[in-house]
Amino acid sequence: MATADSSSPLTPAVFAILLALAEDNKHGYAIMKEANTPKGGCVSMGPGTLYGTLDRLMRDGLVEETGMTDNERRRYYRLTADGRAAVSAEVVRLDAAVSSARSLGLIPKRVRS
Amino acid sequence: MSKLLFNGSVEKLYSLALRLYPQPFRDAYAPQMRQTLRDALTDRVSRRPYFLNLIARDLITSIFKEYLSMFRELYARPALIFNAIILAGIASGIALALYAIPQQVLRNGANDPQIQLATDAVARLEDGAALSEAIPAGNVDMARSLAPFIIAYDNQGKPLASQAKLNGGVPVLPTGVFDYVRQHGEERVSWQPILGNTRGVRIAAVVERVGGAHPGFVLAGRSLREVELREAQVEQMAGLTWIGMLALIVIGTLAYGWLTRSPVQRLATSI
Repeated sequence: MATADSSSPLTPAVFAILLALAEDNKHGYAIMKEANTPKGGCVSMGPGTLYGTLDRLMRDGLVEETGMTDNERRRYYRLTADGRAAVSAEVVRLDAAVSSARSLGLIPKRVRS
Repeated sequence: MSKLLFNGSVEKLYSLALRLYPQPFRDAYAPQMRQTLRDALTDRVSRRPYFLNLIARDLITSIFKEYLSMFRELYARPALIFNAIILAGIASGIALALYAIPQQVLRNGANDPQIQLATDAVARLEDGAALSEAIPAGNVDMARSLAPFIIAYDNQGKPLASQAKLNGGVPVLPTGVFDYVRQHGEERVSWQPILGNTRGVRIAAVVERVGGAHPGFVLAGRSLREVELREAQVEQMAGLTWIGMLALIVIGTLAYGWLTRSPVQRLATSI
């Protein structure tokens, strides 16, 4: 599992969850929905994958529950400082890869990232 | 109305499917997962067939992943794995000894009558006995018989007299064996004579050097067929013992891992 100082790439599900939570605190379905949008990385995941990943992210200290609920069953999650650092490190890594791909002419010119 | 009925049915089915998850995970997240499903089903933007398909695939993969994760947490402890590896190593060593020791005893025992036959024949030849006297006539079929036999070779390795035949002829030993016996006086080998189209005949052979006025070699041999059958039985028994010991180690490790799980895991699995 990812940690803030880990240099290994994050899995798509982990990255999508951390990215979704970077914007705002969210509950499970909101995270799933956000992850499935283009800005969330178009990552499809069901509740099993979502809560399994959240469970591991909470144990690794990258995500935590806010304690806020708008329904007994709908809990909200937020990024910790370590989680923010982990997602930032991944973005930097991906950015370097995208720059490299661009310099190799692998990204069509009309696409802007 | 029908949409509500459909959503209710899907939720019921999903609740049943949630029982397939490991209990700690289920206790921690099942209510939230049901709520997430409900949110998706009531979301007007959500494409229902796509979501149901996603849920089905997610159930299969995430149930497997959660069991794997639980298994890893319970058993991926260095001390537990180290002990299991040490025990598996000891079990493998014992099983190897169970195979190798009887195999060596059987194989060495297969030479016993030949050692005496070769030694006696060499002694008689060196004492000046005639070839026909030292090596009485015999008619052993090397391919079928289990009887011991003697073959005398001259100093160049050419057969002079033989009590056994293979496909009607007397097979010749590889020259390397003669060279070794010239230097060391004796060699004990497993010999696979090839004459004609006969394959698979293996002989426990003892080759001794004949000195004196007419130097040469005497080979005493016997089929290894029975010995190899016994070796195969020993191998099978040692293999079964090994598998049995490894199975016991696996069961013991799983049981020990379960009994010594951390208080948090104990609480989670007993809810």
